[in-house]
Amino acid sequence: MNKILLIAKREIAERFNNRSFRWLMFLGPLFVLGMVYIFLATTTTNKKEWNVILFDKKEIFDTKITPNPPENLSFFFINAFIDYDEFAHQEKYQKYDISVWINEKIVSNKKVMVTYREKLPEHVKRQIIFLVERRMEEIMVDQFTDLSVEKFREIKQSLNFDFRDAYDPKNEKSNTASWVGFSFGALIILFVFMFGMTILRSVSREKSNRIVEVLLSSVNAKQLLTGKVLGIGFSAIVQFAVWTLIVGAGLAIFRSTVFPDMFSAELVADAVNNVNYSAELATQSPFVDLIFNQIQYTNMLLFFALFFIGAYLFYGAFFAMIGASMGSESDGQQFIIPLSLLLLASILSGYFVVYSPSTTLAMWLSYIPFTSPMVMMIELSNGFEDGNAWQLFLSLAILFISAFLMLILAGRIYKNGLLRFNHRLKLKMLIKWMKK
Amino acid sequence: MINVENISKYIHHQTILDDVSFTLEKGEILGLLGPNGAGKTTLMRIINKITNPSKGFVSFDGDLMKEQHLINIGYLPEERGLYQSMTVEKQMLFLGKLRGLSATDTKTQMDFWLEKFDISAWRKKRIEELSKGMAQKVQFICTILHEPDVLILDEPFSGFDPINIELIRKELLEFKKKGKSIIISTHNMNNVEEICDRAILINKGQVVLQGTIDELRQQHKEDIYKISFKGNMIAFANALWAGYEIIDKEVHSDDTFTIYLKMRQGNKINDLLNAVIGQVEISSVEEVLPSMENVFVKSINAQNEIESE
Repeated sequence: MNKILLIAKREIAERFNNRSFRWLMFLGPLFVLGMVYIFLATTTTNKKEWNVILFDKKEIFDTKITPNPPENLSFFFINAFIDYDEFAHQEKYQKYDISVWINEKIVSNKKVMVTYREKLPEHVKRQIIFLVERRMEEIMVDQFTDLSVEKFREIKQSLNFDFRDAYDPKNEKSNTASWVGFSFGALIILFVFMFGMTILRSVSREKSNRIVEVLLSSVNAKQLLTGKVLGIGFSAIVQFAVWTLIVGAGLAIFRSTVFPDMFSAELVADAVNNVNYSAELATQSPFVDLIFNQIQYTNMLLFFALFFIGAYLFYGAFFAMIGASMGSESDGQQFIIPLSLLLLASILSGYFVVYSPSTTLAMWLSYIPFTSPMVMMIELSNGFEDGNAWQLFLSLAILFISAFLMLILAGRIYKNGLLRFNHRLKLKMLIKWMKK
Repeated sequence: MINVENISKYIHHQTILDDVSFTLEKGEILGLLGPNGAGKTTLMRIINKITNPSKGFVSFDGDLMKEQHLINIGYLPEERGLYQSMTVEKQMLFLGKLRGLSATDTKTQMDFWLEKFDISAWRKKRIEELSKGMAQKVQFICTILHEPDVLILDEPFSGFDPINIELIRKELLEFKKKGKSIIISTHNMNNVEEICDRAILINKGQVVLQGTIDELRQQHKEDIYKISFKGNMIAFANALWAGYEIIDKEVHSDDTFTIYLKMRQGNKINDLLNAVIGQVEISSVEEVLPSMENVFVKSINAQNEIESE
């Protein structure tokens, strides 16, 4: 054990002494934050005035929304109900930026569909939510109760707003929660590839500079492999922890300083002259809700770590095998390509699951260890139905058992291939070494 | 100290070692000789438990060789290897600890050897910054850092200049004095003659011969004598007649010569002296034993000829 720790410590020291590792530790999360910033910045627009049309066939709103509409919004009413497609493409509706569909069953189903031509800034979304909610309260109080508006507010059910792209009303092109899971999954694959390649390079370098023979006169091949995988894995986890801290801190800074209008409920409430309503507004913005309420970071990060460890051990075994069996540093390229394709296939499987989450194939992909770390992150971000959490644990168990078996297999190839030099690596050779 | 018993090794139906046995005694330097591909490196890897034998076993002080015995062995492989980006100091600390030394003991040993080899100034240098010879010195220190009882050195003198060869040679003799045992694999037969007590010659995986250096040279001697004299060369040659064959001569001046003679017809040294005394003034006579290089070449060729027949 002591020797394994020594090997692991050396690997850790080598990573941390490596300039590119240190740069990546800080530049990587800054890059992620940059991407988030661009995403957030592009959701805000320079457009200052928005024309909002309310399709209210039954005239539930009675062509009224508020006596003092905010300066940036102009409201129009039509007592008709048209297809989403008509709003999107007909000439006469082109002057309207936003459409709000007041369904005749709004009182019972509480659903409000909003479509937009151009991605809406969060504060505009909140203004619409706030104004429609308030108008609805007036209607409900006026028609169905004897309560005051304030009293009604305490017991009422909020409306469910569904914001959709006018040109993609079925929301086929986006599934935000899934994409968050996809991002976590892709991050696992990225880390696995990065640190898998680190294992491969470390093994092949020890072979090419021949220190492996010196090491093997003090430790056995299994100890060497275990120490190496543990050391590089620990470096990866530290790297990930630093990424999490920096990205977390960055998001907090974004929330409080760079994009306050997007995240601060008070500012939006100010915009519609009602500061008291801010708390409720904060939970109603879909984006803010997703980022700060819907995604369960504790769960996501915990399972991210578990799936990352499983995937790292599973794929790391392949990388170690290739590194140990390479005749020269360039020789293993032929085997790195199919392994990279497997990782790419894993990302593509995630893409498939985002759009087809409930198919049989998606279910299988969530259990196959090659794809489960990617797919399960998406499933996790979408949430499991009650009583279905066992799927998550089954997938994890399959991944860890597969990783364990792969490490045993890798150990055999590692032992047999480590002291072979200057040969041309063939699949037949690998199979022979596996059997030994 | 180390007993190698009936070791055989087969790789892909090819015999690398065939029933090799020998013993390394305490305080002995054993030369492991053989042409390229004879199986020396495989044998050294088996002793170091880097690879397993197909048959036979190795014992250490009477016990079957186990991993715990490896801390008593220092192994210097032929293909030198160090972490290129690590400093000399960190490299030594890592390898010392890996061989069971505490950090403090490793540092003490490291300071001693860096000082002794006069390379303390390199302590903070990375291996990639050192010349090949410098790196060889570092590698040698890494091998002996944990004060092993047995050293197994594959071509320990390669890559060194004559001054450093002498330095390493002295150190090895010093180790021997301290009762440590050493196996040296080398192609340099002068080194074998100078420092080895015994030698074992392996060819195509088989032990061709083994014994003390003197025994091996005696076994292969060819009744050749070196005689130095002052006088007339023609008179000397006439005196020999047919019982001797002159195989070489060195002319020092008009009347001073050294002649190499091979005895024929069962003649002995006394017969030679009787024949030439009175003809020339003899200054010295000595038997010429074959060099280890000759022993090596002749033995290998003889075995190859037998196999080809």
